[in-house]
Amino acid sequence: MAVAGNYYFAIVGHHDNPMFEMEFTPANKEPKKEDHRHLNQFIAHAALDLVDESMWTTGNMYLRLVDKFNEWYVSAFVTAGRIRLICLHDVKNDDGIKNFFMEMYETYIKHSMNPFYTPNSPIKSPAFEKKAHFYGRKYLTG
Amino acid sequence: MAEEAMFDFIHMEAVSYVFQGGEKISEDEAISKLEHMGFATGYRLVERLTRESGRYKDELDIMKYICKDLWVTVYKKQIDNLRTNHQGVYVLHDNRFRFLSHMAAGKQYLQYAPRYLAFTCGLVRGCLANLGVTCVVTAEVTQLPACKFQIQVQRG
Repeated sequence: MAVAGNYYFAIVGHHDNPMFEMEFTPANKEPKKEDHRHLNQFIAHAALDLVDESMWTTGNMYLRLVDKFNEWYVSAFVTAGRIRLICLHDVKNDDGIKNFFMEMYETYIKHSMNPFYTPNSPIKSPAFEKKAHFYGRKYLTG
Repeated sequence: MAEEAMFDFIHMEAVSYVFQGGEKISEDEAISKLEHMGFATGYRLVERLTRESGRYKDELDIMKYICKDLWVTVYKKQIDNLRTNHQGVYVLHDNRFRFLSHMAAGKQYLQYAPRYLAFTCGLVRGCLANLGVTCVVTAEVTQLPACKFQIQVQRG
């Protein structure tokens, strides 16, 4: 049973800069109004403080739910190199989101080994985007 | 096993390449270049190596990780002794540093030893930088092949 939900995924670097962003919507829904986009970034940015706070309380990488804003839940995943992966979602999907985070973490590590990629800079690789699409469809929108 | 020899040889070549400028390049500049190479390597390396080992909340845990896991992965042995004054200064003792063990045992070649430690200083600094610890790493040799790495954490 796959619950249809909207997801917004972002990778945030060391200087609170977004390195990668992607939205996932269920295939059967018609496109929503466009003015929700900037709100997603705003919610994710506001959640960063809470992510930093809970980062110190646990040694796990997956921080589960860190914040809630209106109907949006915010889940976070922090790597040892303090790269933060944030996911906004309107349905609870702990397992799917955890798997998605793990896969995106692996993809990020492989991408960071590219000598032409400067750490903390925006990720512009088409292969990375394709992977993100694929895992998003596999674990998030079902 | 083959990759151990590879790493030794590449490091040797990197040192001699950086110093081959002759009179045009000063010793400090060359050592600085090697240190920067180590920094960039360490920064990216630690992202990959910490995949399985999880996150560390404590600075001391991070230092222990460097002494154990990182040293074992890169140099196939652990650091022999870790000392700290609990105020941001850590000293790592390695009694048989891999790059120096092939050179000599004793005081011969002492003046050239810093060249072979610069990359490692940078490597440690890069790893710590990506884990969130800003620091300065220096190395000291009194008798090959033992050496000491001193890490000074910048706070505030």
